[in-house]
Amino acid sequence: MNAPPGRFDAVVIGAGVNGLVAARYLARTGRRVLVVEPGRDAHQSAEIGWVPPQLVRELGLGAQLRVEQLDPWITAPLQDGGRLELWRDPAKSAEAIGRISPSDGQKWPEFCARMRRLASVLEALYVQPPPDVETREVGELLRLAGLGLRVRRLGKQAIVDLLRVLPMSVAELLDDWFESDALKGVLGALGVWHLKQGPRGGGTAFNFLHHHVGCPLGVFRPHRSNVKELLLALPGVEVRQGSAVTLVRGGRATGVALGPAGDAIEAPLVVSGADPRTTFEPLARELDAEFIRAIRNIRGRGVVARGTLRPNHPPDFSTLCLAPSLEYLERAYDDAKYGRNSAHPYVEARAVNGQLELHVQYALAADRTLPERVAAALGGPAQAAQVTLEAPEHLYHGDLTLDQILFMRPVPGWSRYRTPVEGLYLCGPGTHPGGGIAGAAGRNAARVILKDAKRS
Amino acid sequence: MEGQAWRRWAGYVVASSYELSHDREYHAIRNAAALFDVSPLYKYWITGPDAARLLDRVVTRDVAKCKVGQVLYTPWCDAEGKQIDDGTISRLGERTFRLTAADPNLRWLHLNAAGSDVTIDEVSEQTAALSLQGPTSRAILEVVAQTDLSKLKFFHLTEATIRGIPVTISRTGYTGDLGYELWVDAAKAVPLWDALIDAGAPYGITPAGMLALDVARIEAGLLLIEVDYFSSRHALIEMQKSSPYELGLGWTVAEGKEQFNGKQALAEERRRGSTWQFTGLAVNWESLERLYAEVGLPPRLPTVAWRTSVPIYAGDRQVGYATSGGWSPLLKQYIALAHLEAPFAQPGTPVRMEVTVEHRRKQAEARVTKLPFFNPDRKRA
Amino acid sequence: MPASNRYDAIVIGGGHNGLVHAAYLARAGRKVLVLERRPRVGGAAVTEEVFPGFKFSMFSYVVSLLRPEIIRDLDLPRHGLHILPLESTLTPMENGDYLAAWADHDETRRELYRHSPRDAEAYDLYGRLMHHMAHAVKPILGMVPPDPTSLSPRDLLGLLRLGRHFRGLGGERFHALVKLMTMSSADYLDEWFETDVLKATKAASGIIGTFLGPRSPGTAYVLLHHYMGELDGVFRAWGFAKGGTGAVSEAIASAARGFGAEIRCDAAVARVIVKNGRATGVVLENGDELAARVVVSSLDPRRTFLQLLDGNELPDEFVADIRRFKFRGSSGKVNLALSALPSFSCMPGVGRHHRGAVSISPSLAYVERAYDDAKYGEFSRRPYMDIVFPSVIDPGMAPPGKHVMSIFVQYAPYQLNGGWSDAKREAFGDAVVDTVEQFAPGFKSLILHRQVLTPADIERITGLTEGNIFAGELALHQLFFLRPAPGWAKFRTPVRGYYQCGSGTHPGGGIMGASGRLAALAVLGDGR
Repeated sequence: MNAPPGRFDAVVIGAGVNGLVAARYLARTGRRVLVVEPGRDAHQSAEIGWVPPQLVRELGLGAQLRVEQLDPWITAPLQDGGRLELWRDPAKSAEAIGRISPSDGQKWPEFCARMRRLASVLEALYVQPPPDVETREVGELLRLAGLGLRVRRLGKQAIVDLLRVLPMSVAELLDDWFESDALKGVLGALGVWHLKQGPRGGGTAFNFLHHHVGCPLGVFRPHRSNVKELLLALPGVEVRQGSAVTLVRGGRATGVALGPAGDAIEAPLVVSGADPRTTFEPLARELDAEFIRAIRNIRGRGVVARGTLRPNHPPDFSTLCLAPSLEYLERAYDDAKYGRNSAHPYVEARAVNGQLELHVQYALAADRTLPERVAAALGGPAQAAQVTLEAPEHLYHGDLTLDQILFMRPVPGWSRYRTPVEGLYLCGPGTHPGGGIAGAAGRNAARVILKDAKRS
Repeated sequence: MEGQAWRRWAGYVVASSYELSHDREYHAIRNAAALFDVSPLYKYWITGPDAARLLDRVVTRDVAKCKVGQVLYTPWCDAEGKQIDDGTISRLGERTFRLTAADPNLRWLHLNAAGSDVTIDEVSEQTAALSLQGPTSRAILEVVAQTDLSKLKFFHLTEATIRGIPVTISRTGYTGDLGYELWVDAAKAVPLWDALIDAGAPYGITPAGMLALDVARIEAGLLLIEVDYFSSRHALIEMQKSSPYELGLGWTVAEGKEQFNGKQALAEERRRGSTWQFTGLAVNWESLERLYAEVGLPPRLPTVAWRTSVPIYAGDRQVGYATSGGWSPLLKQYIALAHLEAPFAQPGTPVRMEVTVEHRRKQAEARVTKLPFFNPDRKRA
Repeated sequence: MPASNRYDAIVIGGGHNGLVHAAYLARAGRKVLVLERRPRVGGAAVTEEVFPGFKFSMFSYVVSLLRPEIIRDLDLPRHGLHILPLESTLTPMENGDYLAAWADHDETRRELYRHSPRDAEAYDLYGRLMHHMAHAVKPILGMVPPDPTSLSPRDLLGLLRLGRHFRGLGGERFHALVKLMTMSSADYLDEWFETDVLKATKAASGIIGTFLGPRSPGTAYVLLHHYMGELDGVFRAWGFAKGGTGAVSEAIASAARGFGAEIRCDAAVARVIVKNGRATGVVLENGDELAARVVVSSLDPRRTFLQLLDGNELPDEFVADIRRFKFRGSSGKVNLALSALPSFSCMPGVGRHHRGAVSISPSLAYVERAYDDAKYGEFSRRPYMDIVFPSVIDPGMAPPGKHVMSIFVQYAPYQLNGGWSDAKREAFGDAVVDTVEQFAPGFKSLILHRQVLTPADIERITGLTEGNIFAGELALHQLFFLRPAPGWAKFRTPVRGYYQCGSGTHPGGGIMGASGRLAALAVLGDGR
């Protein structure tokens, strides 16, 4: 496609869900928007996860949006044969759990309800820019007070849960409730999902709740949707291939240099859905040293290898989870802690069109023997040679640890999509609310951008 | 007699004075030559294609304009335009610089070097520095280095050999007088010292310590970090920070430069005007005499320069504070360096400085004075 | 009931918090009785002559955080308290090198410079920031935590004040504080330093008394504690008490007696008497009943609520919270009588480093591995150790020419696979001395006597649940208004007239005395 040279009102870097959402919101206001996708789609994860209803409504996606509803949503093989299946109906899950632990089965509905309530607090937080706790502005203070009241309305138990649970490890949280290793393994895996932490690491309970956001009661895996497909199909936004580096003059963004030739595209507004590090590293010389230090200190370690496996027999599950216990997960993490791939990784396999899509954690680097280990772990329905794994990459652009969320994301002091470069904004999973949520960051960023535009 | 033979400087121990009293050492600075060991300065060797660019980003002065063989005195600031430190930059080659600093700055340089093609080496331990200051310093160096230094201009440097020891001689110093600093491999510092003392004997050379230096630098109106200002990195509260404008270093801020740390904040401060000014104070002798006369004493003068915060008043309120002061044996004046609220910082403004007369706090009349107090022609000639 | 048996307050447990509490109540004119189960006061802060002529601070070993206002209010130096500074920290490395921190800042800086010029510089900046942070946190240690779930004007006001306090810090410090509260000490230190042994030694201080490793989030916060003391005008916060930690307890006890408090040893409390929802006294194990207007427990939360009370006197949710409260003792102690001081191969001979601590934390991976063992229910084969030689500074602790060596050892999990036994205890002791031997060859031949204390021993002797020396893990979700249970962090309990004042309450931990003091202020406030 030969796009006409010339000016755009805005260039969005990255055709991930967040980038597309931001582009869409900007285009809605009559702006001429170009989306630049630096090659291979790096944001597949964003298709997994909650699509906030506000976004669906505002962009009119409602009619075509398809959200996958697996039932059972997870299957876990049990040590002594048999399997644990968890269903969309909490009562049905409780029954299944009750067969391996009556006490756990009994607690399941209450657990689900408590977690849902906490996730609903996060949902409210996620569809707006992170609270600015340092603000002196009346409007922001009122918003903070509103959030506070919202939490209070949930009742004393919810406040106590929130304060207690957030800094906890998912292992502590689950040990408080359950005794079954298999159940705790399935749930604990969500606590370390895309995180270089073991289930005993503080803050993994938060990661657990984060990924429960947008899920129905009793479902603890983020779902997939066709949101990206829909966004790409909407008219009005031009998409081009190529890497892009922001151009800065006198502390202001003036456009992007489009790779590989480095053609300049002028635009007064650049919105980057790319990793904050990738976005700012080329600009290091223009930026405050402490800001660059903070950007470089973002911890985001890819620990998940993804791939596919062609099984010999059609799978008899929708999603298979191989995390038989918290200890199994913790030992898998121990390897990663010392810089090795897990000898016995946590594997999740989703059946898609007769193939299995794999999530393998913890994998720090490509490793020849990992596919064999994965195949072995899956218990032989596969031939090792048919497992392919990609090198791990960090889809979240920064770990979702307590020191890197809300007003600390991506870096303290710059959490509200603005950057030290005037006219350059961030909108990717590296910003609030982070990865595993489809489009919330893009929408929040667009709203901030439009507000700023109105002011100036 | 001072009895404080040693003091700390950047993790080293240095002589306060080589005799029981520093008087002779001070007079050597202004009358003959004094030799100081200033090796505890932090020294960084900055090389590479982006060396000038890195320094230009860090400091306020325009390093690109600095020629090879030239030395710049410059402060540097944080992003808020508050001063971190001050020191000198020697351009030893197109892509080679030596930066001296009072505080460690390796980390700060590395942080600022992000994305730049530059190598930063700390050479504090490997490079020694001797400072030869005073009217006869040139004669001594010309003899011992067998070279003509009359062409070496103020704040320029040259290479030389002194009794077989390669040295870099820069016409710089911390006394506001004619003087030179010699940069040398640390292993050769002691023979160099001996050579200078030996050759300098006919010219009245005297080893000198920090006490004498302190008097001289106050006369010269030169700032001392941690005394006259706090590094913004060390400040515990906002109030303890100062900008170059507030420290009388506005002349070092190259406003036209593309981008440097603190540029926006400094431009903003310049537009709005600084709240504080750094200036000299001369205490009125008659006033001091009167205060002492009230208790039946002749005026008593500090025997060494002081480094405490002393309140300055105008009208019925405090309008600033002095941070260093002492008796200038040359000027026969009680002088001080002070931070004053800008409206009171005009030369000639009458203020009052707190003095303690026989255990009681009094206020002596003083007058705001332009810095430096003493600026002999020979410094630049 | 005879009048002599009636007290204004009975304090259960004569540990340092119980004693501080009693002293403050007595100082306010209350008639106070302290009941101690053991033959001597002190709880975990006791000095005992374990072997003839050799005295040991049995459990805790350094006095770090004893609140200066307590020292002043109770005039403890007059009662014999003298804290001697710990002068250095030496960390032997596996390659034969070492890292030392000395009392003199310049010297420490030069030593760090030897390892990394950048770290030497960062160390100063780090120190300054931590000083700021300690300054920010200190008021919190001294305040009664507001209850965020309560709607009472007082709590709301407290929360508001807290909010204002944090906002007053300014962006940079506020963010640093958030990081400190949430990060792992290893990650936090990674942002500052590159020298592994420096990070390991600093991180090790962040794991003391916790069941966490240096890479576990939530450990960075403890790094702050090192900087707390400096704010009180104490240049070096870490020190020994002359005569061991028992001397601290004795000094507080003496002060309490001086104010008129009565202290009874060998007087174990069986349970608290509750009538109509109100505590009215205690029953001793020998059957004696003692009445008091208020009863205060300085024991840990589990014993305070689940052992001294009948479960049905407490709300179910509260009991569940207390059951959930984690102890997980993770450290042991090895006390050795030595014929001479050991020579470390990294710094041979006897020197000034024996006047300070020797930290066996040669690398982050070493400490993390020590944690891995414990995570799966084993004691560390090569544990993190903090070693001091109190007899070098305080010659009274050992016969002339001989020495005592105190080794704080982590990790030794209370819940050991298969449980603790005599054989396991000795194996643990062997692991400790064998590891020291690697850094100080010939050390084992100097050992005259050896005492090994596992968390099980600590529990058996002091009563501390699961042998946790902090009377409850210092984890983020067990601090401040969550210590020991949400809604009950203000020293009161669901039983009227029954209070808690031990380390299991805010702010908890270490020989600090703050819980005892704050609780006393709460009791006195209620009595008004």
